[in-house]
Amino acid sequence: MLTKFCAAIAKACLRLGVFGLLLLLLAVSYQVFGRYVMNNTPTWAESLALLLVLYVTMLGCAVGVRDAGHIGMELLDGLLPSNWRRPLEILIHLLTMLFGGLMAWNCAEMFLSVRSYLIPTLGVSESLRYVPMVLAGLLIMLFSFEHIVALQRGEEVKPAWH
Amino acid sequence: MALTILCIAFFGLLILGVPVAFAIGLSALATILYEGLPMAVIFQQMTSGMNVFSFLAIPFFIFAGELMLYGGIADKIVDFARALVGHVRGGLGMSNVVACTLFGGVSGSPVADVSAMGAVMIPMMKKEGYGADYAVNVTTHAALVGALMPTSHNMIIYSLAAGGKVSIAKLILAGLIPALVLTICNLVAAYGVAVKRGYPAGSFPGWAIVARSLAAALPGLFVVVLILGGIMSGVFTATESAAVAVLYALFLCVVIYRSLKLEQFVKAAAKAVKTTGVVLLLIGISSAFGYIISLYEVADLTGRALTNFSSSPWVIFLLVNLILFVLGTFLDMAATILVCTPIFLPICMKYGMGEIQFGIVMLINCALGLNTPPVGTTQVVGCAIGGVSVGTVMKTIWPFYGALIAALMLVTFVPAFSLWLPGIVFP
Amino acid sequence: TDFRSTDIHPDGYPTVDAVKFMGQELSKLSNGRHSIKVFNNSALGAEKDTIEQAKIGAIAMTRVNIAPMNNICAPTVVPTMPFLFRSKEHMRAVLDGPIGEEILKSCEAQGFIGLAFYDSGARSIYTVKKPIKSLADAKGLKVRVQQSDLWVSLLEAMGANATPMPFGEVYTALKTGLVDAAENNYPSYESSRHFEVAKYYSKTEHSMAPEMLLFSKKIWDGLSAEDQKALRQAAKNSVPFMRKLWDEREEKSLATVKAGGAQIIEVDKASFQAVMKPVYDKFITDAKLKDLVKRIQETK
Ligand code: NA
Ligand code: NA
Repeated sequence: MLTKFCAAIAKACLRLGVFGLLLLLLAVSYQVFGRYVMNNTPTWAESLALLLVLYVTMLGCAVGVRDAGHIGMELLDGLLPSNWRRPLEILIHLLTMLFGGLMAWNCAEMFLSVRSYLIPTLGVSESLRYVPMVLAGLLIMLFSFEHIVALQRGEEVKPAWH
Repeated sequence: MALTILCIAFFGLLILGVPVAFAIGLSALATILYEGLPMAVIFQQMTSGMNVFSFLAIPFFIFAGELMLYGGIADKIVDFARALVGHVRGGLGMSNVVACTLFGGVSGSPVADVSAMGAVMIPMMKKEGYGADYAVNVTTHAALVGALMPTSHNMIIYSLAAGGKVSIAKLILAGLIPALVLTICNLVAAYGVAVKRGYPAGSFPGWAIVARSLAAALPGLFVVVLILGGIMSGVFTATESAAVAVLYALFLCVVIYRSLKLEQFVKAAAKAVKTTGVVLLLIGISSAFGYIISLYEVADLTGRALTNFSSSPWVIFLLVNLILFVLGTFLDMAATILVCTPIFLPICMKYGMGEIQFGIVMLINCALGLNTPPVGTTQVVGCAIGGVSVGTVMKTIWPFYGALIAALMLVTFVPAFSLWLPGIVFP
Repeated sequence: TDFRSTDIHPDGYPTVDAVKFMGQELSKLSNGRHSIKVFNNSALGAEKDTIEQAKIGAIAMTRVNIAPMNNICAPTVVPTMPFLFRSKEHMRAVLDGPIGEEILKSCEAQGFIGLAFYDSGARSIYTVKKPIKSLADAKGLKVRVQQSDLWVSLLEAMGANATPMPFGEVYTALKTGLVDAAENNYPSYESSRHFEVAKYYSKTEHSMAPEMLLFSKKIWDGLSAEDQKALRQAAKNSVPFMRKLWDEREEKSLATVKAGGAQIIEVDKASFQAVMKPVYDKFITDAKLKDLVKRIQETK
């Protein structure tokens, strides 16, 4: 149940991320096109690209937690007796969860703090930069939780898509 | 005290096995908590650290590399390399070095390079009787050259870490000769070990085949020219050139080679999104770490400590190399660049090393760290493909380290290696 | 307390030295209880970042240009407006008086205590290929601007192709011809070495957007009335000191760029002034802002 739910969310995140990446490519290509072909640089393109890249990154980063894509060192893993491994892995996931929680909470605070500022040349609220951070923080918590549950059950979390 | 907390928390979390990015983030948060500052500042710096226009090049270079891989351009480069040097003793090893170097120029990232080339070459080498440790070491070391090639997003990260005033075009030119030197050192090491172990030689297919395979690989390799030329002539900024590289790769795979189906395209994009998430998170969190480094003026402290230690440039440069190497073993490339540049660049400049030369020294050091445990990203990927443990690979890594360190010393102590070419193009 | 303050400029730049001077004054006024530590060279982030940090109370003070405040606090757009001030003396009179006070005060609702305005000179356009003598010469030029709505419309009103770009990329962009021109004051034109590649500095003097000294309201509210008074006084004392440094710096920079081969070109300013109405229409939208502009124009 939890696995199905998380897999669906991870897949949706990646799809959104792919869409964002293509939009990003369009925005930057259009900037080059505008400067040379229309002799009128679209001033919003850079701002939009900078906003989009945060969404792409944070979606990818959250899925990375689920697919165990973030690099760490596995020193203790080889040194500790095998019955210590599971508690250690659970501890790592709890620490990752803590980071996700702090990220969601503090970025929500930043969201409120800059809510009335507008992003220059784009005219939307500066707080939109913190939306993906809050979202990714929550997703990191969810995916770490999924890993912990899977560890308890002796299962493995498999990537949902590609 | 605050710095003690930072160090203990960071290394403690790292040893536990917490992913590097979260270990950096949590230790930075612990320090900020101790200082009594709002924790939100860490996330604010993380967000703005990712939100830099030049860093938009990163998702694009990653995406272009994935497209080239899924579109079969990697295979064409392998074919060419095999035709060219496959007949020398240890020929597959030699072709591996050449192929990795060339694809490094296309993908810009050592990790992508290992996963692309390694997936093809390592099984092939194992099948023809090469040791898995040899196959992995050859691939992972040849892949490091990618960090010095025109598509290297690490150069862009360095240029920004150095204050944003280092010309990316000059940096790219400065990397070309060291990249060549590195490749030659790698070839020597690969050949030496092959002779010692009595590995086989293939047969020469004839110049016609070489020419034909070159023709097939050339359009893929042209991306290097496109980027270098685009940036140097001022047609594109570095970021724009990366976007153009994606469009070019797409054009090539879809229109010219017709090798990319929609499904593979989506796969390549999804992979790029995931990798972007990992890489840019690390960059963002490293800037937050850098905030604390600035807050406690670590750069000044380190600078004074080093100057007290010695006043000879040779000793200082050697020490800086050593520190960079040690840090590089723990941190990932982007993190090392972002954290160490503000600390060591001013010191080296005081002793007469310019920011371009330092950049190349930094990049080679970081690349070396990619093949060093405990956090050796490239090495881990290579070992996974080769099906061997890091420990096994480490036992026979020395000739390859030797080759890299020789190249590093040349670049550190002979400025001409990095500065001659940019000096000619931009007098 | 050792208040943390930030600046994007290096040591020895007038704004940095002025805040250091303010720290000495503060120390005197508070009998050594308070001082200021300046983190220069963008050590703690770009101007936009340090503004956000001051708001959440991570740093006490930040010295920023007024432009990044435009989207945060509406009245700050007024001193940025093109061709608003007739001269340096006019600008100083306005900002030292009740109008300046009013604009500083307007940031309080957004979480900032405005302590003072510093000078930032007049900004003009510099070009690589040919000088700008009148409006016609600006048409179609690719001019680098900061990522700011006001600068974009200002340059567009001149008929130029406004191209936002990070500051660090401008030198190369000018050299390779990615952009034809950029705009700034003498000290930045000099310290960025842009004069090496763009030799024609045409004195359009299109804006005199000043610098601002902002204090975090979050930290301010925790200080005693006496300390607040000392901070205000110290900031006030640093203004004449800053202006003296600024005037010297401008002269020095002018001499350096001239020695480096830059040509300073007089411009038909009226032709530029005449096309600025759309900019005023776009940014001076409500009665309050219109009134501020009017009162500035009426100030002697
Ligand atoms: Na490369
Ligand atoms: Na390493």
